[in-house]
Amino acid sequence: MSDLKIGAYICKGCGLGERLDCDQLATVAQRDGKAQVVQQHDFLCSAEGVKLIQNDIDNEGVNRVVIGACSRRAKTEAFDFQGVNVSRCNLREGVIWVRPDEDDMRETTQEMAEDYIRMGCAEAKHSLIPASAQEKGTDNTVLVVGGGITGMTAALEAAKTGYPVVLVEKTGELGGYVGKMWKDVPMHAPYTDPVDTATAAMAAEIEANSLITVHLNSTISKTSGAPGRFAVDISTESGSTTTINIGAIIQASGATPYDASQLPELGYGKSKDVVDRVELEQLAIAANGGPIKRPSDGKEVKKVTFIQCAGQRSEKEGHLNYCSGDCCLTSIKQAMYFKDQNPDIETEILFDDLRTPGAPGEDFYRSGQDKMVTFRKAVVSEVVGGSNGPVVKFKDKILDEDVEEEADLVVLATGMVANSGVDIDEVPQNEPGEWEVSVDSILNLNYRQGKDLPHLKYGFNDSHFICFPYETRRTGIYTCGPVRRPMDTQQAIDDATGATLKAIQEIENAKVGRAAHPRSGDLSYPIFRKEGCTQCKRCTVECPFGAIDEDEKRFPVFNESRCRRCGTCMGACPVRVISFENYSCDTVGQQLKNVEIPEEWDEKPRILVLACENDAYPALDMGAQQGNHYSQWARIIPVRCLGSVNTIWITDALNSGYDGVILMGCQKGENYQCHFVKGSEMAAVRMSKVDQTLETLNLEKERVETYEVAITDIDRAPGLINDMAETIEKIGLSPFKF
Amino acid sequence: MSEVIATNQTILVVGGGISGMTAALEAAECGKQVILVEKNPSIGGRVSQLYKYFPKLCHPKCGLEINLKRIKANRNLRVMAMTEVSAISGDAGNYSVTLKTAPRYVNENCTSCGACGDAVEAEFDSEYNYGMNKRKGAYLPFNQAYPERYVLDPAIIGTDDAEKAKAACKYGAIDLDMGESESTITVGAIIWATGWKPYDAGKIQPYGYDRFQNVITSVEFERMLDPHGPTGGKILRPSDGKEAKDVAFIQCAGSRDKNHLAHCSRICCMASLKQTTYLREQYGDDGKGTVYYIDIRAIDRIDDFYQNVQKDPNISFVKSKVASITEDKETGNPVLHGVDTEGYHRYSNPHELVVLAIGMEPSVPAGDFPIEVVLNEEGFVELDEANGAFFAAGCSSDALDVNRAVQSATASALRAIQVVNKVAGAEG
Amino acid sequence: MSNYNQEMIEKYRGNFLKEVQDNVEEGDWVKMCMQCGVCSGSCPLGPHWEHPPQEIFMMIRAGKREEVLESTSMWMCTSCYNCIARCPRGLPITHIMHGLATYSKRLGLAPQQQPTAKFAQLFWDNLVKKGRVNELKLGLSLYFMNGFGEGIKTSLKMKDIGLNMLKAGRMTPMEMLGGHSCKDTKGFQAMLKKAQELEEARIGKHGN
Repeated sequence: MSDLKIGAYICKGCGLGERLDCDQLATVAQRDGKAQVVQQHDFLCSAEGVKLIQNDIDNEGVNRVVIGACSRRAKTEAFDFQGVNVSRCNLREGVIWVRPDEDDMRETTQEMAEDYIRMGCAEAKHSLIPASAQEKGTDNTVLVVGGGITGMTAALEAAKTGYPVVLVEKTGELGGYVGKMWKDVPMHAPYTDPVDTATAAMAAEIEANSLITVHLNSTISKTSGAPGRFAVDISTESGSTTTINIGAIIQASGATPYDASQLPELGYGKSKDVVDRVELEQLAIAANGGPIKRPSDGKEVKKVTFIQCAGQRSEKEGHLNYCSGDCCLTSIKQAMYFKDQNPDIETEILFDDLRTPGAPGEDFYRSGQDKMVTFRKAVVSEVVGGSNGPVVKFKDKILDEDVEEEADLVVLATGMVANSGVDIDEVPQNEPGEWEVSVDSILNLNYRQGKDLPHLKYGFNDSHFICFPYETRRTGIYTCGPVRRPMDTQQAIDDATGATLKAIQEIENAKVGRAAHPRSGDLSYPIFRKEGCTQCKRCTVECPFGAIDEDEKRFPVFNESRCRRCGTCMGACPVRVISFENYSCDTVGQQLKNVEIPEEWDEKPRILVLACENDAYPALDMGAQQGNHYSQWARIIPVRCLGSVNTIWITDALNSGYDGVILMGCQKGENYQCHFVKGSEMAAVRMSKVDQTLETLNLEKERVETYEVAITDIDRAPGLINDMAETIEKIGLSPFKF
Repeated sequence: MSEVIATNQTILVVGGGISGMTAALEAAECGKQVILVEKNPSIGGRVSQLYKYFPKLCHPKCGLEINLKRIKANRNLRVMAMTEVSAISGDAGNYSVTLKTAPRYVNENCTSCGACGDAVEAEFDSEYNYGMNKRKGAYLPFNQAYPERYVLDPAIIGTDDAEKAKAACKYGAIDLDMGESESTITVGAIIWATGWKPYDAGKIQPYGYDRFQNVITSVEFERMLDPHGPTGGKILRPSDGKEAKDVAFIQCAGSRDKNHLAHCSRICCMASLKQTTYLREQYGDDGKGTVYYIDIRAIDRIDDFYQNVQKDPNISFVKSKVASITEDKETGNPVLHGVDTEGYHRYSNPHELVVLAIGMEPSVPAGDFPIEVVLNEEGFVELDEANGAFFAAGCSSDALDVNRAVQSATASALRAIQVVNKVAGAEG
Repeated sequence: MSNYNQEMIEKYRGNFLKEVQDNVEEGDWVKMCMQCGVCSGSCPLGPHWEHPPQEIFMMIRAGKREEVLESTSMWMCTSCYNCIARCPRGLPITHIMHGLATYSKRLGLAPQQQPTAKFAQLFWDNLVKKGRVNELKLGLSLYFMNGFGEGIKTSLKMKDIGLNMLKAGRMTPMEMLGGHSCKDTKGFQAMLKKAQELEEARIGKHGN
C-alpha cells in the first residue's frame, strides 16, 4: 500500500466562511492533523471543488480525504471518491447550524470546528483502506430446503435467473401442504372460484429443469461455512450423506397444521364428523368432485359448519396466540367445494372477524356469499354429539342469542405451526468439536450460536423488520413462506420470489467480499489479532448474526461473509484485538483523544457523544436543519452501532478529561429498532458496568448516560446534550484535566 | 438535463416510495443498472409521511434513512425526481420509454442551505402535510428529502419571489429558465411501483369530511403526530385548536364499499389500532378511543397487537359501519350515528375528533397506464404473462402493508432481473 | 295459516334463506349482506323498527322464518332509499323490504293491525275500482280505518285543511259520488287481471 497521505479540504460555502475562521481551520489541519495537502474552497461540493480533490487524489497521491464541510449525510455522492478513505468533518449541521451566530459565541464555535478537523484527520490517519475480505465466495448454487409451494417457487425462480439449485425435501414427494389440497384459492382475477393447485405442474417443471437437482426423503444433517462457501450435508432416510457446496440457502420449511386433538371442547376426537381443515381437503379429494361424504357413516353432507379461529387468536394454554392468516379464505374455499357440487347444501361459517384482505380477498368473500355460503359472527363455546351429527353451540353476536345447531359435518379452521427447527435460545450449540446432528433441526448449522435460525415470536423465524423483511439473523440464509409468518399461497409465492433474489444477491456479494444489508456494499471486515486474544468468548456469544465460531481452543473463527460489519464484536472485546480497516478502537479512540481538552480554569467542559449513525446522528442533523441548537461543549462521533462501542472509549474519554459522555443508540427489547438486532442491547449491558469504572475513577455516575434515541427525536436528542451540559455545570468539571 | 444512459439490460423502476426504492435497490445491489423515476421532487413516498409503523411502533424514517444511505452508495442506481413516464412501447427485453421531467428550477449546485427558502415570501399548501399547513415557494419537501435539493413552486416563476430566490442563492443553483424536458430511453424491464393515494374522503358524503372540520383522515392524523408537523406533534382539533382526547376511528372509510372502493384496503385496521396507541402515548389514562368497524383485520402474526389494544380499558370497539355524522354546533363535536350490530343498539355518540381510516386507491387510474396492462376490477395490476416485463410492485399490485409491499417489490426485482439476464445472455 | 304457507314450510324445510331467495322480490341479495349495519343506521324511521334491515337479513340466515315474516318491521319502510344509497354491498334494501312484506302478506303472515299494511290495502282497494285514486274517499277511509269514533275525531282535526283544499279546488265533494275514472276502466281491469295471472303463475312455478 502506498504511504498515507492526508488531504484536508475546507469548504467556505453555506455560511462556513462567514461563521468560521477557515484559514485557522486549514492551519489546524496542517499543524495538528498532519495533513500534507490542505485546500480551501468557496463551494467545495461544486463540480470544480470535487475536481480539485480528485486531482489531488490522482496527481498528489492523496489517499485519505478529510472534508470539512457539511454532514456525511449531505452531498454524499459528490464526495464519493473511489479507492481512498473519506472522513467528513461536520462543520455545517454539526457546528454552525447548532450554534447561535453571535459575536460572543464565535470563539467556542470555532473551537468546535477545529476539533472536528482534528478528529477527521485523526480518523484518516488511523484508518486503512478496506480491501475486502480474503474469504471470497465461489459457489453459485442455491439450496432450497423444503419442497412445498414456497420451496418449489424458490427453486424455479432461482433456476429461471440462471442459478443452479439443490432442492431438499424430507418427504417422498414435492408439493407439501398445498399439494395435499383438492383446490386452492384463486391467484388471478376473477377471484371467484377455487382453482387447481399449482403444485403438480410445478413439480413437473422442476423435474424437467436441468438446473435443479431434487433430493427427496432427505434432510440437512450439517450446514457449515458461510455465504458463497457453505458446505451442506444432505442425508437420506437410508443413511447416505452427500456434501454439496452451496452459495446461499432458502429455508422454506413451511408449517405443520395445528394438532386439533388439543381441541376436545370443539368435539375433535370425540366425533368423527368433526374434522380439521386438512382432513376436509382429504374428504374433498376422495369425493373427486362428487358429493362429499362424512367420515362416520359415509352419509352425503347436507349441512356443514365451519368454525373459524379454532385454537387460534387465544392466550389459552396450548392454543396459538396468533391468526394463521389464510383460514378465512380457506374455509370460504372449502365451503365452495360443497356449494359448487350442490348449491342446496347448507354451509355456514362461524367467525369472529372475517379476514379476507385486499382486492382478491374481498372478491373471494363476496363470491362465497354469492354462492350462498352463510356467515355468522359468533363465538363457539363447544361442539357436542347430537342424534344425527355434531351439535355446535355458539352465541350469535348479531342476534345476541345462544344457538345450538346440528350439522352433518363440522370443520375446524385450525392454524399453522411454523417448522422453524430448534429454538436456539433454548437449545444452544454443542461444545466445539462435539457437534452432532439434531433431528429436530432444519439446517443443523454447526454455528457456535446454534443449529437453526433464531426464533422471533410464536416459533416463527421472521425478521423483525417492517422495511426489511428478509433480514434474518444468519447472513445468506433466507426464510420464506409460512415458516416466517402465517401466510396464504399467493403471499408465499411472492415471498419465495423475494427470498430468491436475496439469496442470489448474497451469492454475488460473497463473491466480492461485500457486506449485505444494512451496510450494503461495505468492503471492510473484522480483522482479528489472535496473539492478544484471551478466549473470553464475548465476541462469539454476542455477534447478532452468529458470524463467529470457535475453534477447539476457543479462539474465535471469523466467517467474514456471514458478518454484517456492525462491530458488536469489536465493542465486546475486552482486549481490543478486533477491528475493521476503517473503523477500529483506534479510529474512534484517536478522534476523541485529538479533541483539545481545555485547562480546568478555562471552564470549558467537553462532552463526548457517541451516536448511532443510522438514527441518533441523523436526528441531530435534522435537528440542526430545523434550527435546534445544542451545547458548544459537545463533540459528536457517529458509530456504526452502539454495539460497536468499546468501553475503552469511555475510559479513555474520562481519563483524558472529558466531563461527560453520552451514548445514543436505538430502542432495545421486544420491539427493538436496532438494525443490528442486538447492538443497542449489548451496549446497554456493557454500560451498566461502567458505573464501577466511574467509581474507581472517583467520578459521578451522571457523567455517563446512555439513551435510546429515535431518528424522529430531532428535538429531544439536542436536548439530551444540553441536559448533560447542565449536569456538568451542577457537579463541576472533571478532575482529570491536565 | 444530462443524458440518461440506459440499455435493454437496464431496469426502470417507476415510483420512489417504499416499494420502488426497495425494488430499485435490491436489483442494483444484485449488480443491475437501475433507473428510478419519481414524479414528486423527493423520493420517500407515503411512508415518509407516517409517524410510526405497526406493529413495532418504530419510525418509518429509520428505514428510509437506511434506504437513502444504500441509494447514495450505489453507483448502479440513478434517481430522477419530478419525472413521469408518458409513454411505453415495445416488448419484454426491449421497451422504449418516454420520460417527462418537470422543471425544478434548482440544479445540482444546491447545497440545501435554505437561503432561497428564507428569501421568498409566497406560501402554498404543504403537500407533505396534506395541506394542513403552508410551505414556502422555495422549499425542501421534508427534512430527509432526496435528492436533498430545494425546489421552486412553478407558481412563483415570473414573480418577484423567483428573482429573490435566485438572488439569495450564492451557488448559482437556481435556474429560472428550466423547462420541461423529455427523453426516451431503452430498458429491458419495468417495475411499476406507483403506489396508492388516499381515497377522496369528501366523496363519503354522510361523514361530512368537507363540512366538519373535526372530521379528518387517518393520513392527516399521522401528520399531527410529527413533532415538526402542522400541529407540532399534538393531536389538535382543526376547529378550535384544542387537544382532542376522545377520538373516534371509522374503519372502511371508502373501503369494502361498492359505492367507493370495492376492495379491503388491508392496512386500515392495523393503522387505526396503531393510532389508538398514540392517544395513550399523549394522554395516558385521559385519552379515549373508539373504533367503529366491520371486521378487525389484524391478520397473521400481528393479531397480538389487536389483543393488546383490546386490553386497554380506554379503547372500545363498536361493530358498526357509522351511518352518518352530524356536528354539535356548540361544542364542535362530531356526533356519530349508527347501529351497533352486536345486539342492535342505536347510538349517537359525540367525540372530539373523528379519524376516517381512509382507503387505498391505486394512484394510477385504470385508463391512465402508458401501456396496455392486465388489471383486476379494482384497478390493481395483475401478475400476468400478457404484461410482458412490466411488473407491479407494492400497492400497485394490491392493497398491501409495508412488509408485504417490500416482499412484493423484492419479488418484482427478481422478475425484472430474469428478463435482463435473458437479454444479456442473448447478447453474450 | 294458509295452505300456501304450509306448502312453503315443507318445501324449504328450514332453509329460509333459500325460501327468501326464491320467493321474495330481490331476495337473492339477502345473502350478500356483511352485517355492517349502515342501512339500519341510515334509516330515518330506524328507531321505530323492531328489527332493522341488517338484523332481518341475519334473522333470515339464522332461519327465523316466523319472526321475520310476522314482523311489523319491513312494513315500516317509507321508500326513502337511504339504505340503498349507502349499502356497501349494493343491496336493494328498500325493494327487499317491500318484497318481504308482500311475501308475508301472500303467506297470510302479515301483521293484521299494522297501519302501513292497512293503508296499503285501502289504497289498493280504492285504486282498482276506477284506475284512479279517489283521494277524498281514500282520505276518509284512512280516517275511519280504526273505527267510527276515531274517524270523526280525525276528520274534525283535519277539517280546516279539507276546507282550504275545497276552496283551492284541490278536492271536490263530487268525488264522493263515484268519482272520476281512467279512460278505459275495462282495459285497466283486464290489465290487472292479466298481471295477477302472471304473478300467480310465477309464484306457482316456485310454489310447486
